[in-house]
Amino acid sequence: MKKLLNNWIVQVLLFLSVLALTALSTSIIQDIIPPYLLMIGLFIGINLIMALGLNLITGVTGQLSLGHAAFMSIGAYASAIATVNYDLPFLIGVLIGGLAAGLIGIIIGFPTLRLTGDYLAIATLGFAEIVRVQFTNMKITNGAIGFLGIEGSTTFPIVMTIVVLTICCMVWIENSRNGRAMLAIREDEIASSAVGINTTLYKIQAFAIGSFCAGVGGALFAHTTTFIQPTDFGFLKSVDILSIVVLGGLGSIPGTIIGAIVLTSAPEILRPLANYRMIVYGLLLVVIMIFRPYGLLGGVNLRQAVRRALMIPKKKQAGRGE
Amino acid sequence: MSLLTLNNVTIRFGGLTAVDTVNLEVKQGEILALIGPNGAGKSTMFNLITSIYQPTEGTITLEGKSLVGVATHKIADMGITRTFQTIRLFTELSVLDNVKIGCHCRGKAGLLQALTRLPGMKREEAEIEEKAIKSLEFLDLASKRDEMAKNLSYGEQRRLEIARALVSKPKILLLDEPAAGMNPQEKVVLMEMIRRIRDTGITVFLVEHDMKLVMGISERIAVLDYGKLIAEGTPLEVRSNKAVIEAYLGSGKFKSRIRR
Repeated sequence: MKKLLNNWIVQVLLFLSVLALTALSTSIIQDIIPPYLLMIGLFIGINLIMALGLNLITGVTGQLSLGHAAFMSIGAYASAIATVNYDLPFLIGVLIGGLAAGLIGIIIGFPTLRLTGDYLAIATLGFAEIVRVQFTNMKITNGAIGFLGIEGSTTFPIVMTIVVLTICCMVWIENSRNGRAMLAIREDEIASSAVGINTTLYKIQAFAIGSFCAGVGGALFAHTTTFIQPTDFGFLKSVDILSIVVLGGLGSIPGTIIGAIVLTSAPEILRPLANYRMIVYGLLLVVIMIFRPYGLLGGVNLRQAVRRALMIPKKKQAGRGE
Repeated sequence: MSLLTLNNVTIRFGGLTAVDTVNLEVKQGEILALIGPNGAGKSTMFNLITSIYQPTEGTITLEGKSLVGVATHKIADMGITRTFQTIRLFTELSVLDNVKIGCHCRGKAGLLQALTRLPGMKREEAEIEEKAIKSLEFLDLASKRDEMAKNLSYGEQRRLEIARALVSKPKILLLDEPAAGMNPQEKVVLMEMIRRIRDTGITVFLVEHDMKLVMGISERIAVLDYGKLIAEGTPLEVRSNKAVIEAYLGSGKFKSRIRR
């Protein structure tokens, strides 16, 4: 059995069947739950895809980026232009959105990733503003009026399948030579280059993958709301995504998942509070950061925690037998 | 046989000449120590060899290949790894991961391999893990493999840094003050370890302040003062060298008392 599971072809088939199962189960769920909840689920998924990208940049590689919304907007506009102006199929549009954002990520990465910490944050912030202003003044994006007439092709099964795919990719990257190099850069850049890690290369790689995810998220977003305008992708959007990553726990994939669920659904759950909604939302952020300064799952080794949780009852049983 | 050669190496930071026309040869398979008072330029020498700084003048060659202008991350691949004066570990990662990262320059897998997870990539991962565990066993850290690096004791952290530098099987290991902050007992263990490292065929070049350790293990000692190489030779020769005593203790009437 174990030998079978180690076979590469079996693993690929297993992975494909997981994806198929996700698509199937979500399309069943889609018909059962009310549209309002479905919409929240959709946005959780989209935010999660983008947050996982930012987690690779900020959480794993340790490069603070405040311009994630810019890559989201590039993906959104590129895919919208592809599907509306060029009549390309939706999924090709999503891919184009991701690739466009990833490419710009590489181009921007070269000069800015020489900077570290606060300086990098300011540089990415400036870049995000440039992108926003650029989209406001371009003809093809219809400027400040906004891009109209995008088809609402994004569906719950598509988003969730991409979510599962992204999570798998992120786990694989983190548990590889590449992922270790990225973690090393976060921990100590000088020591990293002393053991032979090309720090610039891996930073740009992380930046490109993270931007790609943001682009895909943006494309899905555009095809959900059917209307996008440059103000959708302002500084606050970047901060929203960053809060998901920080609140979940920097560098933790399960943390990012929980962060996306909590922060996307909180404003909706708090809706009955009417005017006090955003105050409570802000308070929630403050309280979580006070009690879990490293994020909800920051510093928690989930595999170890689960193992421990499973081991303790076993040991107790053995004790009784004696 | 000379492995690493420094030829007329000079580096100036503005008006300060930190290393001044140094000629030094590191021979294959020896333990060479570099000593000198604080600020003599010892760590700067290490930073020059690992290409963190570029010399203003002169050449540095490893087996005939120039190291000047080579990117810092390629130095490890060429066969020079190092430890740092202030410990630089990947503190939030496990001990095993720290050593695995040390193997980076010997791996090939890229992003494509990470995402496809073909059998070749898994084989490489298994090899890396095996090497890492061997390196940990060599430095007596195997039992700590799953601990976070920051939770190790000071001496263990120093050893982990050496394990990380050794795992890629370098030609030369540079140790920057390996005994700093260690107690006498740990120092004895460290001396034994440095000898064992040399016995596996790795040349050891160390900077150290602890004279007992330096005199005890090095076959040759080079002395640096104000960036200039003032003496070079066996421990016995260096110990009785006039210039060395002056550099450490100053000249003048106290000299006679020291001589005694």
